[in-house]
Order: sequence, then structure tokens, then C-alpha cells
Amino acid sequence: MINITNLQKFYRTEEVETIALNNLSFGIKEGEFVAIMGPSGCGKSTLLNILGLLDDPDDGSYLFNGIEVAKFNERKRSDLRKHNIGFVFQSFNLIDELTVFENVELPLIYTKVGAAERKRRVEEVLDKMQIMHRRNHFPQQLSGGQQQRVAVARAVVNNPKLILADEPTGNLDSSNGNDVMQLLTDLNEQGTTIIMVTHSEHDARYTHRIIRMLDGQAVTENILV
Amino acid sequence: MLKNYLKVAFRNLWKKKGFSFINITGLSIGMASAVLILLWIYSEISFDQFHEKSERIYQMYNRSVFDGKLWCWGTTPKPMGAALRKDYPQVENAARVTQGTFLTSVGEKHLNSSGYLTDPDFLKIFSFPLLKGDAARALGKAGSIVITEKLAQKLFGEADAFGKVIRIDSIAQFTVTGIMKDLPANTRFDFEFLLPWSYMKTIGWDDNYWGNNSVQTYVLLKPGVTEAMANNRFRNITKSHSDTKDIEVFVHPITKWRLYSKFENGQIVGGRIGVVRLFGIIAGFILLIACINFMNLSTARSEKRAKEVGIRKVVGAQKGLLVSQFLGESILISLLAGMVAMIIVQLSLSGFNELTDKHLSIPYGSVLFWLASLVFVMLTGIIAGSYPAFYLSAYKPVSVLKGTFKAAHALVTPRKILVVMQFTFAIGLIICTIIVNQQIRYAQARETGYKKDNLVYTFIQGDVEKHYTAISNELLNSGAVTSITKTSAPITQKWSDSWGYSWKGKDPNAKLDFCIYNVDGNFAKTTGLRILRGRDIDVKTYPTDSNAMLLNEAAVKIMGFKDPIGQTVTNGDDGKWHVVGVIPDFILSSPYEPVSPMIVQGPKAWFNVIHLRLNSARATSDNLAKTEAIFKKYNPDYPPAFKFVDDEYGHKFAEEKRIGTLSGLFAGLTIVISCLGLFALATYMAENRIKEIGVRKVLGASVSSITTLLSTDFLKLVCISFVVAVPLAWWGMHTWLQSYTYRVPISIWVFAVTGVISVFIAVATISYQAIKAAIANPVKSLRTE
Ligand SMILES: Nc1ncnc2c1ncn2[C@@H]1O[C@H](COP(=O)(O)OP(=O)(O)O)[C@@H](O)[C@H]1O
Ligand SMILES: [Mg+2]
Repeated sequence: MINITNLQKFYRTEEVETIALNNLSFGIKEGEFVAIMGPSGCGKSTLLNILGLLDDPDDGSYLFNGIEVAKFNERKRSDLRKHNIGFVFQSFNLIDELTVFENVELPLIYTKVGAAERKRRVEEVLDKMQIMHRRNHFPQQLSGGQQQRVAVARAVVNNPKLILADEPTGNLDSSNGNDVMQLLTDLNEQGTTIIMVTHSEHDARYTHRIIRMLDGQAVTENILV
Repeated sequence: MLKNYLKVAFRNLWKKKGFSFINITGLSIGMASAVLILLWIYSEISFDQFHEKSERIYQMYNRSVFDGKLWCWGTTPKPMGAALRKDYPQVENAARVTQGTFLTSVGEKHLNSSGYLTDPDFLKIFSFPLLKGDAARALGKAGSIVITEKLAQKLFGEADAFGKVIRIDSIAQFTVTGIMKDLPANTRFDFEFLLPWSYMKTIGWDDNYWGNNSVQTYVLLKPGVTEAMANNRFRNITKSHSDTKDIEVFVHPITKWRLYSKFENGQIVGGRIGVVRLFGIIAGFILLIACINFMNLSTARSEKRAKEVGIRKVVGAQKGLLVSQFLGESILISLLAGMVAMIIVQLSLSGFNELTDKHLSIPYGSVLFWLASLVFVMLTGIIAGSYPAFYLSAYKPVSVLKGTFKAAHALVTPRKILVVMQFTFAIGLIICTIIVNQQIRYAQARETGYKKDNLVYTFIQGDVEKHYTAISNELLNSGAVTSITKTSAPITQKWSDSWGYSWKGKDPNAKLDFCIYNVDGNFAKTTGLRILRGRDIDVKTYPTDSNAMLLNEAAVKIMGFKDPIGQTVTNGDDGKWHVVGVIPDFILSSPYEPVSPMIVQGPKAWFNVIHLRLNSARATSDNLAKTEAIFKKYNPDYPPAFKFVDDEYGHKFAEEKRIGTLSGLFAGLTIVISCLGLFALATYMAENRIKEIGVRKVLGASVSSITTLLSTDFLKLVCISFVVAVPLAWWGMHTWLQSYTYRVPISIWVFAVTGVISVFIAVATISYQAIKAAIANPVKSLRTE
């Protein structure tokens, strides 16, 4: 599903040039659940942003389902993204002005799903995440665990083939964290490919494979399954 | 999708009530000002444009060289109208118009009314519809009169006036052959009745002399006749009918009467259009300033909304969608502001009308108006929203969501430029307001040359002329009045001028124009004017004084007299005058212009006005009551009407005072809007720097040092605005003052005072937020991270 070869990403700030990704290559097959680990600043988020088509690489190739997307313009990236990829962030990133229902509904609006269908699908996914009773609340009225469940709901409501999660449990206590990991595992079992950045060896055990990174390069791979 | 946007928009409005309040208030004040000004402009440009045949209506104009300069004027000889109708096939209709004020009476009801004496064609040329009567024939007969609804109501009450008889000046009888719909506000014409021209002959006002330019002549050209063709044909009409060899005739189209009526050297150089343009610019600027507020607040708030933008992009929104979302939001705000503006306009309209001397109203019934309003609201929304929309939607989702997003703290940011623009305009307007008011005070302080207080005048009407001696004696005996003089015109108005005078030593080729004024004696005593040389006209002591004449200093100078007393001045064949005295250059017409040469003719001349000096030792109301009683006794039909010279003189400043008040008003509004914006910006700045402030305080910074730190950024901008505004305002005011010969010098302290005022206002606006942020407990602000 994903094939990256010699991916490069630099950040230039004033005189300092940081190499965030350095000749990174690997592939991920459909249905996999992969953890990316490594010390802070080694380029995990950068990688995830590129995989998620939020950012573009400076060099290298990125094949998404066999299509070269490394040089896509913003419009094409956005198109591909909204139909195929869902995101879960460490800091939830819900829109404060929208209710739980409306936050989850948002991706469906942008993919032009009809109102009745939207309602059905949002309710279905909220049910699945067990936050249906909070549908009319605003994000600030929810606990961290609940907010992350809303974020996961929003990520999956469009039935994306790929979910990218950047430290999804980083702001949660262990019990809430386990709930979220269980959610992701369930999704994976239903066929969704998931790539998750994490610092927690415990969370990584839920996955099939761990890619360990250092200074923008993949150093080892542990196959767990 | 739209629903989603609206939802977010309304929640944003509601959640940030302060922000919304400032935004909508500022925008609605700006819009209301712009709408008021646009209504004013519309009324100006629609002046006399409602006549159905307006593209064929012209006023006859003359041009001739005086003092080496080509002058143009719109009064014409009385025989011109008839000549045009008779000899020029290009002319469909022609009508002469002259104004007259007469006593109109019905039974025992007497009113002074003012109207026009005119030809029957008047009603064919102009579209003043008759409610009753036939426009084609209403003025055809000698004894007919057309009156307005308003006059009919005044004279006849609810009874039907049509066919009834009105007495003019107690003697002549006229039958009402037409009742006219009251005149609209946007016409140059102002009359309560129309009388047929034949009445001019009855009262001895008519003449057939091509050298006397005293009436307006209007023509309706046949279809297909262009202005150029008409000018070509009419050029020599006066020359061919008289021995005048230097007056050419041209036509001035109705479309230019109101706005393009200023001629210089024979060319139209503008006129009121200048004011209209100026107002248009001011309206645009005030609106722009309100929009700038919106832009500034929206972008300042954008740091808060950046997250929303980022998330929307991550889940699939494209830039175009976001741009339209934010534009939609600003159009929504603009719509709300538009509604508030409408209320403001409705509430302030009567005050604005008073200020501008207009009768503006909101044309609620007009589809065009609502359409224009809609376009106006959309446009405002788009202008106000465009910059924030593109600014916000250009955020990179990665940087926003990662938290690496930081607002620009560059030296020059669009936001800073916008603040500078606002304050430049506000400061410029303050400077203009001060200078306009200085100019008014400067002209008001100018020596008029006579004593305005306790001086009143009244027009000679009815039997006053017949009983003048008796009235005069009785007034003096009553003790209410200390001195009386008959004059040709009120002492505040120039009614007549002439270039027909000759004297010994005059250059025979020079065409020198004099202002003409007549008095029958006691001129100096009544008006308080000093006699500089010789004496006042006094026909009792010197019987030959019926041909006596006074000159003002300017006249003495231009005539070149070393010893003016005893000189002879002639006017044509019949007028022969001898100079008995010299008076100072008193202000008869404009307090802003030098006094022109003036000839004051003695008792043999013509008179229209009586000036009275009231006894200053007694109460004015008593004096007036006694005076009125005496006039009433000798002239019972006419309601006595006295005007105070100091009031009338005050009217000379009305236009300038209006400009002063308006520019003050606009300056005030601009400052209010700009300060609203500044206040909100200061609020956001304080919010955004809360952590920095906390850290500084923990490290030991004092409240005052933090307040200063937060204020200086904004004060710098105000100072830059001041530097930009000063030369612009100086240049504008310098240009404006050029139209006045007597003008106040622009002094440095005006700028100094304005600078201090604007810094003070800015400090007052910012300091609240700055101090609030500075005294906040740092522990709290640091915990928010
Ligand atoms: N917007 C940016 N500008 C400059 N440097 C950046 C930016 N984002 C990330 N970096 C740098 O790139 C490297 C990788 O960052 P990141 O991908 O966020 O690491 P991780 O998520 O693994 O902690 C780091 O050294 C970081 O400082
Ligand atoms: Mg990271």
C-alpha cells in the first residue's frame, strides 16, 4: 500500500539546516498495523505528515497504492487525503466551536456526503466509540479519553484505508490509553491499515511490526507477528 | 456545508461577544456614515434631473471680457426670450423667469409670498405637474395665477382654491388657473406661485433693453439640436439685436446646472462637483477604515482560529472552500452591521438633514435602493473579509497543528500598515476641522466697517413709500428708533453692479465694474459707518444732495481721484452725480473677499429697503413692538417683518460652518471607529503575550515597565500616522484656503496640538488593556500553558 524510497526532508531555519528524514525507505502492506518509535526529534512526526500528505518530501519517492504522490500539488493531495486517510493526534485537535457530532461529521461534509447519510454514519461511529450520549457536547466539556475517542471517530467516519496516529495515547492515562489502543486494534482487525507513532513499548505491543528510527533513518525493524 | 459554516460563524460571533460587538459597531458606524453621505450625494446628482425633457433644457448664458478676464453669467436681457422663440427655429419653447415677493391676500388673510413672473412656456419646459388645471393654458391669460399646494393650503385652508381669486399687493386680482404639486427638494427652483409675464408691465418692471441683464432665460431645444449647434446659432443674438459688441451668448445644459456652474475664463472649471467628490472620498475612507478594523481584528484573532483551519484542512477542506467560508462569515457580519447601520441612519437622518440643510430620506419603496444596499453590504463584506480569508486559509496545517505556528512579528506587517492608514485619516481630519474653524473665526473677526448690533431692516412694501415721511417722524418721536435710512438693498447683500459710469480722467477703453448702493441720507449715522472725508448725504441741509454720491476707498483708488470731493461722475445721459464724501471699504457681500469699488448714490436713485437703528438704551423687544405698530398703522395690509443685520451677516458663514461641523463629525466618527479597533488589537496583544508578561514579571519587571512595553508598539504607529497625515492635511487645507482671499495662515501649533491630542487618545485607548495585562498575577498566566 505504501512504498517510500530514499525519502528526504530538510528544515532550514536561518543558518541551521536540520535533516529530519535521511534516505528513508520502507514499505507497508495493506492491513498492517505498524508502530514507529524513536527518540524525540528523530523525525517521526515529519514522516507521518508526509505519509499523510500534509507535507511534501524534498526528495525521494512515495508510492501510495502504486501512484507516485511525492510531487502532488496541494489540491491533489487534499483530494487523495480526504477519501483515504484519517488522522489521530496526541493533542486531539478537535474544533472547539463544534459539538462532538459536528466534529465527527466534518470529513463527511468535505467529501460531499448527503445529510441523512451523514447522520446515519456519524451516529453509527459514535455508537461504536461509546460516546453517543455526548453527541451534543463541546470538546471542552469532555475528558481527555473521551476527546480522543471523538478524534478516532472523526478519523474513521469516512472509512479510510489508512489511519495515521501520532502519539494517540500521549496525553492519556493508562486506562484511557488502553481503550484507545483497543479501538485501533479493532479497526485494524476490520481491515484498516494503521501507522502509529508512539513512545510506549506497551502500546507498541498491540502492533504487528515496529520501525525504530534514529536521526531520520530507520535503524531496526521488529516483526511481532 | 453552508449550514455548517453558518453554525460556526454564529457560534464564533456569540462566543467572542466583545470582538463581535466591536466589529459590528465599527462596521455599522462606518456603513451608516457612508450611507448618509451617499444619500446626500444622490440628492446632489439628481438635482433637476427629474424633468422629462431634461436632455433638451438649457439656460441662456452670457460671456464678456471685464478687466482683461472673460466672465460668464446666467442673467440675460428681457427681450431675449421672445427673440429666441420668434427667430430661432431650433427653439421649441423659451421662458423668462424673475423672482418677486408680493403680498398675497384672500379676504382678510394677508401673506408675503415669493414666486416667479414667467412666460407660459415655463410649464412646458419643466416637469412641474399640475394637480388641477391645464399646464398648456394655465399662464396664458393676463389675470391667471398658478399656485403650489402649500400656498393654496395657506391661503384657502381646506377649501378648493381652483378658480378662486387672489389679490396681489392688495390691488391686482388673479384667478387660480392651476394648482401645482409641491416642488421636490432637489430642484433649483423655489416658488410658491407663478404669475404671467404681463404683470411685469403692470408693475413697471419690464423693459425692452438689451443692455440690462436681469432675468433668467430657459430654452427647450427641438429634438436633434445639439449644444454645439445651439451655441453656434445663439452666439450673436445680443450683438445682432443691440449695439453691444462684446457680449456673446451660449447655453448651459440642465445636467450641469447644479454641479458644474463655476466658470473661469469662459470654461467650466467645476463647482459643487468638488464638494460631491470630496464627500464621496470621505465616505469611501470612513467605510474603508471600518473595514480595516474588521481585517485587523480578524487577522489578530487568526492565531486562535489557526487550529480550526488546520483541522479543516487535515480532514479535507481545500483552500478555496476555506476562503469562501471566511468570506461568508464576513458577509454575514457585514449584513448584521448593515441592519444596525440602517437603524442608525434612520435615527440620525433628521440631524444630518439639519446639518446639511437638506431633505434626505431613505427611499424604502425603491427597488433600486434595496438592490444597491445589497450590493453595498456584499461589497463591504468582501472588502473586509478578503484579506483575513486569504490570510487564514493560507496556513499550513502541519505547522499549525504541531504548534510551531507563530504569528509574524515583522517590522512591517499588513496589520500595522492598516492601523497607520486609519490614524492618518483620523489625524488628517482633526487638522482640517481645526483649520476650517480657525478660518471661520478669522473671517468673523474681520472688521465689517459698520455696527451690526441694534440695526434692523425691512422691505418697502405697500403704502410704506407713500407714508415714508410720517412713518419716519413717528418712529423717531417714539424713542424706539434713533436713526433711519432708505437704501437700495440690505446692507448685507450686493444687489446691483454696473460698468456704465464715467468721470474725468477715465480711460475710455477700460470697462470698470462698480458695486451700486443707494441711500437717501443719514447713512453713516444709521449704520455706524465712519465718514473718512467730506460728509454724509444730507438733502435737508444741502438741496443739491439729491444728486450727491459717496465713494468707498476702493472706488476712489480705482477712479484715480487725488481729491474726490466735488468730482462729477456720470451714468449714461441722465445720471449726473457729484461726490460729497468718502466712506471706508465696508463688507457688503463676502467677508472672505476684498471689498470691491462701490458707488453710493443719493436720494434721486431707487430704493427697496429701510434700515433702522434701534435705541440701544431700551429693550429690543419694546423697540420692535413700537416699530411694528407704527408700520402696521400706515401699512395695515402687510405683516411687518424686520430682519436683524447681525443675524443676516451671520448667514454668510453658514456654508463654512457646515463644512467645519461635518469635518468635525467625520473626524469624531473616524476616531471612534479607529479607537474601537485599537482597543481590540490591544486586547489581543495582551492575550497573546500573556506568557511573556508572566515570565518578565517573575524575573522582576515592574507594572509600569510592562505597560510601557505593551503601549510603545502602538504609539509608534500613531506617531508614524501623524508624520504621514501632517503634509497631506497641510496640502489639502492650503488648497482649500486658496479660494478665500482673506484666509488664516496655517500655524505650526495646529499640528502640535493635533499630535498631542492623537497620542493622548491612543494612550487612553491602549492603556486599559496594557495595565490590565501588566497587573495580572503571573502564576495564573504561566499555568495556562
Ligand atoms: N517546522 C520545522 N522547522 C524546523 N525544524 C523542524 C520543523 N519541524 C521539525 N523540525 C525538526 O526536524 C526534526 C524532526 O522533528 P519531528 O519530526 O517533529 O520529530 P519527532 O516527531 O520524532 O519528535 C527535529 O530536529 C525538529 O527540530
Ligand atoms: Mg513528534
